[in-house]
Amino acid sequence: MKDATREKVGSIEVIEQGFEQAGYICDTNIATAIYLACHLRKPILVEGPPGVGKTELAISASAYLNLPLVRLQCYEGLDESKALYEWKYGKQLLYTQILKEKLGDLLEGAVGLEQSIERLHQFGDSFFSEEFLDARPLLRALREQNGAVLLIDEVDKSDQEFEAFLLEVLSDYQITIPEIGTVGGDVPPLVVLTSNATREMGDALRRRCLHLYIPFPEAERERRIVQIRVPDISEKLRHQLVSFIQNLRSLDLKKLPAVSETIDWARTLLLMHADQLDPEMVRTTLNVILKFQDDVERVETEVRSMVRSAREGC
Amino acid sequence: MDRTLGEFVTVLRKIGVEVSAAETIDAANTMDLIGYDDRRVLKMSLAMVLSKTEDERALFDDCFERFFSFYKFSDGHGEEGEIEEGGHSAQVGDPQPAEGEGGPAGGSGGGGMGQESEGGEGSTALRDLLLNRDQTALSMAMAQAARAVGVNQIVLFTQRGMYTRRIVEEMGLDAFDQEISELRRQDEEDAEAAALLRRLEAARRFLFEEVRDFVEENIALHANAVGKEFRREFLKKAKLTNIERRHFDDMRVLVRKMSKRLNAMYSRRRKVSKRGQLDVRRTLRGGLATDGVLFDTHWKSVKVDRPKVFVICDVSGSVAAVARFLLMFLYSLSETLPKVRSFAFSGQMGEISDLMELLTLEEAIPLVLEQYGGMPTDYGRSLMDFRDLAINDIDNRATVIILGDARSNYGDPRADILRDVYRRARQVIWLNPEGKSLWTTGDAEMASFAPYCTHAFVCNSLATLERVISKMLRAAM
Repeated sequence: MKDATREKVGSIEVIEQGFEQAGYICDTNIATAIYLACHLRKPILVEGPPGVGKTELAISASAYLNLPLVRLQCYEGLDESKALYEWKYGKQLLYTQILKEKLGDLLEGAVGLEQSIERLHQFGDSFFSEEFLDARPLLRALREQNGAVLLIDEVDKSDQEFEAFLLEVLSDYQITIPEIGTVGGDVPPLVVLTSNATREMGDALRRRCLHLYIPFPEAERERRIVQIRVPDISEKLRHQLVSFIQNLRSLDLKKLPAVSETIDWARTLLLMHADQLDPEMVRTTLNVILKFQDDVERVETEVRSMVRSAREGC
Repeated sequence: MDRTLGEFVTVLRKIGVEVSAAETIDAANTMDLIGYDDRRVLKMSLAMVLSKTEDERALFDDCFERFFSFYKFSDGHGEEGEIEEGGHSAQVGDPQPAEGEGGPAGGSGGGGMGQESEGGEGSTALRDLLLNRDQTALSMAMAQAARAVGVNQIVLFTQRGMYTRRIVEEMGLDAFDQEISELRRQDEEDAEAAALLRRLEAARRFLFEEVRDFVEENIALHANAVGKEFRREFLKKAKLTNIERRHFDDMRVLVRKMSKRLNAMYSRRRKVSKRGQLDVRRTLRGGLATDGVLFDTHWKSVKVDRPKVFVICDVSGSVAAVARFLLMFLYSLSETLPKVRSFAFSGQMGEISDLMELLTLEEAIPLVLEQYGGMPTDYGRSLMDFRDLAINDIDNRATVIILGDARSNYGDPRADILRDVYRRARQVIWLNPEGKSLWTTGDAEMASFAPYCTHAFVCNSLATLERVISKMLRAAM
């Protein structure tokens, strides 16, 4: 860890404040996770409903720690050639074609196959050198000399084989490329894995990570998030909006509105020059926070009473 | 490593949070890093290191609170008013009770016992602690004594008395009692001594009550977990027909656990198919080995291979109990086996797939039993019904599981239908709850069915059931 980084993760309070400056309101739980991850050199497995800021956590961490963010988006069929490294086959082929004559010169006068091969050996494996290596996210993150934030997004979408492959990377922070050797930076990256629980993650992977569950934020924290993300919004509207959303989350909906939707909605209302919630405006903008028609229809009937209680609450 | 942490991890494991050795080391590092200063932060940090799912987190939180709740001696002690006073006035940290009379008398009592070695000192210490109501010191002394006698080994509720006694003795009860009996001997003449005696006796009762409470908490923490584990281990191996209704909740948990493991093992088996889009990258890469000649072709499309399962359950009296668990098992494997068609029969057969899918297991099974159970078993008739219902859907991906004792009441078993099924299906598995030695006795027709089964197993406990299903999944993939 570089000294500058070390200072920034000196204590849990420092992290909490630092993240706030980077635009991410984290509670003690999240700050503790970052603190532990930095000091124990362990990856964090972040779980929670979609839209609570799992990915954002990694992005903010990279901004705050001033480290490059390397992102690996997982999907079915992701394999190591897309995640780790790949040879530039096209370039290799092209170069062999261009260099054909050079090779001819080189081999001139060589008698027999053995001698030719001998001569070729003198030039090393130049076709399998860094020049022709196409580094993919994992390798890039490991090669960063000053460390990096490696975000492995939606790891639950990847295949089980890939998950097994990750184990080596996550425990040793190094990778072996047969043709080149072992690659691993001096400073291991801060690894953040996010999961939406599409499938159960294997125990082996869980065991190697710190487990962080981010739930929907409580009202106080959500208000601060809105404040920092949409600073122009009036305080009254902010209170009403957050208590409306909090209320909404207690209903039985297909998809509950997440923090990202709260922020979008705050921006929408700001754009419409609202200074407080009124039922008509809520009804027209419901589609910003609710993403299923069933949900919209269900809430529409209750908008009036919910707006009233949100207004009274403040 | 910290002994407390070790004990905590043991307790966690007992209640079902699976903590590995590596995680324990992480936890020790975490403790070094975080320290004991802030309980909330320590709890959060340990939770992140030790519990790895939401369920485990809930268990962890509960366990943490109970494990690290420092047992506090209560300070209220209603009736014994004088002790109360003594306790309050003695807070200055003076080793002797503050009241003038109590002090010297106690001192002489202690002095009288001076010749006794450490026991005597222990007594004085314990006595002082009790009379002073020094809660913190008392709790510490008790915790130390508890560790010395190994209270975390407690297994049964009936051991409560024994452990209470041992802890109190460890805290120095002997000498304390001796002092009391000495005071008794002096009795009567000395009003002060009598007062002290009363106080000491009250203190002794108080001590016992507190320690017993403490031990009871430990039972809740240690013994219940062990008991549950013990019971589940037993249920796994017990004969399904003997399991009583009150254990069904536990059974459900067990089945869910087992099926989760099977799901994880088999749900994402894929097969690379030999057609589809050319995977250029992998083909080129494969070509490197053959000097750039694209000899091995790789294709992009991958198929998830899932078996079709047909379950046929005999629901007549004796087999019904096993059928319940087989169905429970198969329907909790929905990730691996999205399409299970189930049939039930005794006298005749009907399909129960819809019932099983629409209703919960608890609702569905009694309905099935009511509808199809109760008739004398007739394998011939039932297999004919099966032929009409489903034989055309059986193909080489189908696994047919038949659960029954093959007792056909001397009717024609119609093994020829099973032969047809056997020829069409990938595998036919027969599960028989009866022991192998009974397969050919009386009206059992196992001999005529067995040639047309890929496998025939005895299946009468959850453990065998799991093994059979695991085997079936492996063969079907």
